[in-house]
Amino acid sequence: MTQPPVVKVTGLVKIYQTGGLPVPAVRGVDLVVEAGEFVAIMGPSGSGKSTFVHMLGGLETRTSGEIWLDGKRADTLSESAWAVLRRQKVGFVFQFLNLVTNMTVADNVELPALLGGASPRQARERREYLLSELGLEERAAAAPGRLSGGEQQRVALARALANHPRLLLADEPTGNLDSRNTRDVLKLLGKVHRQGQTIVLVTHDARVASMADRVVSILDGQIVDDAPIARAPRRPVGTAGDIVELHG
Amino acid sequence: MRVIGGSGRAEVRWIRADLRARRGQALLTIVAVAGIVTALITAATLLEDGTNPWRGLFERGRGAHVWIHTKGVPDVAALRGLGGVTDIAGPYRSAPATLAERGRKVPIALQESTAELPPVARPLLREGRWLDAGNPEGVVVEQSFARALGLRPGSPFPVTGLNGATHTLVVAGLAESGDQGFYPEWTPGLAWTLAPTLTMVEPAPGRTETVTGLRLADAAYTDIVVQQAVITLRNQVQRVSTWREVRASMELDNRLLGLLLALFGLAGLVAAALALANAAGGRILTQLRDIATLKSLGFTRGQVIRMLVAEHGTLGLAGIALGLVAGRLITTYALSGTVVVPLSPGPTLAIAAGTALVVLVAVWLPAWRGGVTPPIPAAPASPPGGRLSRLARLALLVRLPPALVLGARDAFTRPATAALTVAGVAVPMMMITIGLGCWATLDDFIRHPEQVGQAAALSVRPGDLTAQEALGRAMADPDVVTAYPGVELDALVPWQTRTVRTRALGLSGDPYPFPVVEGRMFRDRGEAVAGQGLLDLLGVRIGDRVRMTIGGTPLIVKIVGRVIEPEQDGEVLSFGIDSLAAKDATPPQFYSLVLRPGADPGEVRRRLESRSLEVDQAVNPADRLAVIRLIIVALVAVLALIGLANLLTASALGLRDHLLDLAVLKAMGLTPRQVMATLVTGTGLLVTAGAVLGGAAGASLSKGVIDLEGRSSGVGAGIGRAPTPGMLAAAVLVAIGASLLVALIPARRAARAQVPVTAR
Repeated sequence: MTQPPVVKVTGLVKIYQTGGLPVPAVRGVDLVVEAGEFVAIMGPSGSGKSTFVHMLGGLETRTSGEIWLDGKRADTLSESAWAVLRRQKVGFVFQFLNLVTNMTVADNVELPALLGGASPRQARERREYLLSELGLEERAAAAPGRLSGGEQQRVALARALANHPRLLLADEPTGNLDSRNTRDVLKLLGKVHRQGQTIVLVTHDARVASMADRVVSILDGQIVDDAPIARAPRRPVGTAGDIVELHG
Repeated sequence: MRVIGGSGRAEVRWIRADLRARRGQALLTIVAVAGIVTALITAATLLEDGTNPWRGLFERGRGAHVWIHTKGVPDVAALRGLGGVTDIAGPYRSAPATLAERGRKVPIALQESTAELPPVARPLLREGRWLDAGNPEGVVVEQSFARALGLRPGSPFPVTGLNGATHTLVVAGLAESGDQGFYPEWTPGLAWTLAPTLTMVEPAPGRTETVTGLRLADAAYTDIVVQQAVITLRNQVQRVSTWREVRASMELDNRLLGLLLALFGLAGLVAAALALANAAGGRILTQLRDIATLKSLGFTRGQVIRMLVAEHGTLGLAGIALGLVAGRLITTYALSGTVVVPLSPGPTLAIAAGTALVVLVAVWLPAWRGGVTPPIPAAPASPPGGRLSRLARLALLVRLPPALVLGARDAFTRPATAALTVAGVAVPMMMITIGLGCWATLDDFIRHPEQVGQAAALSVRPGDLTAQEALGRAMADPDVVTAYPGVELDALVPWQTRTVRTRALGLSGDPYPFPVVEGRMFRDRGEAVAGQGLLDLLGVRIGDRVRMTIGGTPLIVKIVGRVIEPEQDGEVLSFGIDSLAAKDATPPQFYSLVLRPGADPGEVRRRLESRSLEVDQAVNPADRLAVIRLIIVALVAVLALIGLANLLTASALGLRDHLLDLAVLKAMGLTPRQVMATLVTGTGLLVTAGAVLGGAAGASLSKGVIDLEGRSSGVGAGIGRAPTPGMLAAAVLVAIGASLLVALIPARRAARAQVPVTAR
């Protein structure tokens, strides 16, 4: 029995109405992402890649086309149903402003678990585990504003993974980080991926994209290239699950 | 179910974090709402208690609905057997006596009581001690009577019985009672003594009477029970009084007070709604980005709305709860002298539910606004583009400093928010101004009593003297300028089952200086002036003729003018004493004395009293409305707090909108001081606009509003005063000054802070 693809998109179109004029951002994208894949979506600014990923997570509505997440049709869902789907199956990391500013780091990471119905104890245990894996346990009580950019992105990653999502969507997660922090975050993403996490990552940085199994290039709202990156075979893809032993 | 419980936890977690992050602001919201509820509760309690103190007194003392005066001891068992009677008070013996007080003799009724407070018709001890068998000279005096005579616990109480023997008793305590009206409306004054003391003062059993009180299961049975009692006791009954008479004698003519309090209550509610909407709206606007993040995490729109309503609503409800407690405490302790019974559950519930509704409505709109935020945190809500406003262009034109111009531009980048801020300051300011107008009106009452019909500060009654002697003695005083002869009579009005007060004062040719505000003063016999209340009661207008039966004589008078009439809810007709039949007019009951300007009425009163004249000092309406001043002070404080809360919201919003501009401004070469000036100008301009607007609106409205209140209270239009220009200017300046100070602190911090240029 084959698993359904984590993401299946057919004929996805997004047209913004700006001042009465239709401005197409995404024009007919088809894409399939299998479980365990790490797909990088590349393209210059304004190519529609962010819009595309936002639509995958239901943050923006599509104009036409179909979105299937984990074998279920998602594009017809209401805003609330999308919200529920997100909390169960999708983790988001944005370029910045990922964290709820008035909550501590600990609260930020616990929030998705609580939202998903975990007990406060389970949420705390999960948070402690994730933060310790990311080496941030002593920043648990800090306000997000007190963290460096790299730390903030790592916390955002921890929060995105809190509910064991089927799909991790990352929109330029390293966009405003220096090279060292970029490397740290990418290393984390790589490790998470090796545990079987399906990832769709948007970037305009070729070095970042090179981490992925497959690079999809978008230009003017259309896929112009879709190619796997050849590399030494890795151990087979497992099921999506905990990130374990991120250290070492 | 588990999912719901879990997501509920997430909401609670967020609310807790948000409240922790803005403790001060949250506290301010709570205090503002609590202040308003406290003011409402206090006002309603004062109103309820003020309009009818009888209810509280009667219930507290388990008063008797019917009092039967008989010659001898009645058949108590038979009375108890009457249908509807639940309890019996007494029978008590009662004896008439005279109290010798500063040269004049005041009739009193001594009533027997027990050393232990009776269970029914129990006097409510207010000061001193109750009767004590170990101290037989002690009497307990009814409080309003004691106040009128200046008696305190420990004062001597020289009583003369009908046989002429004087006994020096001592006031042991003061008590109130729901079974006896207030002095002087209800005479004679009442004093309770022990049975042996009563026997000592009035040894002859034939000269005492017996009073027996009947407490009924339902006040509606009163008439039937009275009939049955009269039949049962046959010829024994001398007189019967019921609770209705007592209540009527206690009802005060303070409809004006009630209306003013209601006005302030309404103002408070509007202000509360505004404060909450502003605070919640401002807060939510500053956290739209966080809300977007929450939605990207999987919070639904409904959850966000619920969360925000819960957070801000909880603050409001906490404020209401605090206000209810504070209101109860204030009315119980701080106002224990004036308030007898706490507010009854009905109005309390109405206030709580009303404010709760206002709170939820005021909070729901901004919460909904937060709920529909798009879930993309990377797109912060940015203020619409910075086109220079007309005002800013004008500022540039007259070459104002750049900081002012930029600030002026900033002030209006969000027109809706700017309007809300202006309104948030203007409405409290307007209410404060109207409050100051009320204050000025009260001051005016005191400064110009002649404008509310109290040109005469004192009135003398001849008492034992002849009218001529009394007039001579009064005029002999150097401070007395004029004396107008006067008579007050009750008149039966056609089509009305009740009587109204008529006042014959001065002569038609030499009238008392009534404050005529409409029409003209009476000049001839048969002409009269009336208060608004009387015009409304009879449905007549100036120029109409009315027929009345005054003192048994039918009289037709033409109403030629309307006067300001603070007495009897304005239901008073005034005319010259020569319009009355001679039998009613001579001798005059009293002379109203107009004093030399600057004379101290209390001083003159003492002098006249030392010449054995009975002198009454006019009670200025401002004194009866004195409680309004307390309310005004409280309301101004609460409103100032609300204005401040609105201002904090506005300046927080301003900062948020311009945080990114700050970097640009600095890059352009503005010094921190100029940046600060820009920020302060942004809020300051709105605040100044609000304060000036509110002040102007209040000043122009206050006279009209107070006149409206005066009109519907019967006193009549024409009493309203706008706040004095000095008072108004001071209020506006204080408001603006305080606002600028408050705006300065965050602006200063922002101007000094290192602004990250990245986050957009």
